[in-house]
Amino acid sequence: MIRVLAALAVGAVLAVGASVAVVNVAAPTPEPPNRPLYNYGDK
Amino acid sequence: MRTARVGAAAAPALLGLLLGALALGPALGPGFVLRYDMVFVPDPPLTLPGQGFPRAVPSDLVVALLSQIAPAQAVQKAILLGIFVLAASGAAALVPTGRLGPRLAAAAFYAWNAYLAQRLLLGQWALLLGVAGLPWAVRAASLGGRLRLAVALLPAAVGGFQAILVSAVAVLATAATAPCAAAARVRRAAEAALILGGLSLPWLIPALLSEATTDPEGVDAFAARADGPFGVLGSLLGLGGIWNAHATVPGQGSWWSAGVRLVLAAVAVWGFVRLRARTRRPPAGGRDRDAPPYWTGLAVAAGAGLAIACLGAFAPGAMKVLIGWWPGFGPLRDGQLHLASFALLQAVGLGGVVMGGVMDGAVDRAPGSPAGPVPGTRAVAAVAAVAAAVPVLVLPAFAMGAFGRLAAVDYPDEWRRVQAIVNADPAPGALLSLPWGAHRAFGWNGGRVILDPASKLFARRVIWNDELLVGLPGGGRIAVAAEDPLVTRVGAVLRGRPDERAEALAGLGVRYVLVHMSDNAFHGGVMLFQGRELRLLRLDDRR
Repeated sequence: MIRVLAALAVGAVLAVGASVAVVNVAAPTPEPPNRPLYNYGDK
Repeated sequence: MRTARVGAAAAPALLGLLLGALALGPALGPGFVLRYDMVFVPDPPLTLPGQGFPRAVPSDLVVALLSQIAPAQAVQKAILLGIFVLAASGAAALVPTGRLGPRLAAAAFYAWNAYLAQRLLLGQWALLLGVAGLPWAVRAASLGGRLRLAVALLPAAVGGFQAILVSAVAVLATAATAPCAAAARVRRAAEAALILGGLSLPWLIPALLSEATTDPEGVDAFAARADGPFGVLGSLLGLGGIWNAHATVPGQGSWWSAGVRLVLAAVAVWGFVRLRARTRRPPAGGRDRDAPPYWTGLAVAAGAGLAIACLGAFAPGAMKVLIGWWPGFGPLRDGQLHLASFALLQAVGLGGVVMGGVMDGAVDRAPGSPAGPVPGTRAVAAVAAVAAAVPVLVLPAFAMGAFGRLAAVDYPDEWRRVQAIVNADPAPGALLSLPWGAHRAFGWNGGRVILDPASKLFARRVIWNDELLVGLPGGGRIAVAAEDPLVTRVGAVLRGRPDERAEALAGLGVRYVLVHMSDNAFHGGVMLFQGRELRLLRLDDRR
């Protein structure tokens, strides 16, 4: 039973984190135009 | 009872289909999904490899063949969904239990992780064919059987050189360490090498015949890079670290996402190690078991992949020496690519964690062993559901085409008209695509960056600039030299006097010049088509 509760707790924490992450990216800024290269990023 | 068994067997594949639909989202609508290397075109021509390095061989040819019987955009969507189905079902097949929960956990992880997401956002569908088939190839190598292995490697064979490379290490390591007699192991490894070699011929022969070169500068350009707060190594352990900043899942670099992925990776690796440890110390009341026959091979392949990924990032000099010595080491430049086996190891490990957690004792209890606490059906279902959902919750922004990074669009009509004009001409001669750069960002494609579609649209040699410019963190850029010698010669002509270009290009065997309207530097030739976006010119052959 403890294991089940632990699993559900982990699932709940992840679900909250995922919700926050999704809300943060739901209105994304446009992708960088990468203008001079039409190419790759610079992270 | 039989229906339940069939349902349980098909569940991982169905989960893969579900995850594929969730990940692709808007990309499954009418039209083509175009992003970086993923370039599908309407009515792709049946052509043999050109003279540069055969990067899309035989994948483009297979797509062209399939497009003879179905629309190319339907072929693309079937391939993309098939990757998820194949990956999920294969990972589940490697988990050493018949229980659904652990198998679904492995399936979900392998079909929904940062590695697969990043490679998909880089458009490397051909590589992902090999990645998706990898668990099946590992399984076949561990079980033995030439035909079984050849069939399991077919997706990789279709994918081409990168797909075969990520499969080869795992297959050879698994065959060489399978739990059987030494002579049998040697025979299996030799057979696996022969099969891999045979399936590589479609791209290996053109590669050896081509005069393509490999620029060691690509080591710096394609080395793994940090995509979160835990540095390069932390990114790689969490299956991230791709070199391209635009191929990351939105929000992937946040503390939350990077941290949770790292924790999940640690748990999964622990689960994989535990699969082995349990053989030496079987659970109380349980029977002794052998480690999965692929355990050592997969561990070796995953370690090798991680080492290759680290080499380019932490010891680029050594990699450059290798490539300078033999250009065949070129495929090692993009080190993060070789994490596929590590992703599979983590998937199986996660399945092992679920298998060894709540279900421990109920799973593999030996007949007649003393009864212990057996988890209820609802408890098992709850843990299985959480385990299958964890990979999605850890990387939620991969959903819906990574929130718009993948979408379906249609080519403007003028692209098809230009294609029809050129492909109706039986006269020989190459087509030159301008502007002189490898990538395009069309408004009709939402500004998403793609490889020049002209490179796949015509039934004749297309000359396009395969030089890559890659940005660096400090703001600088690296130019990775073109691999095709003809590209170098054409580039020199384009840098020459404008009034001599047309004649010089005709002398190099160029018959057509396709110019995007963003480039108005080329003049000369006979105008065959003028649209809003494209201009098609034909040069006189003065050779």
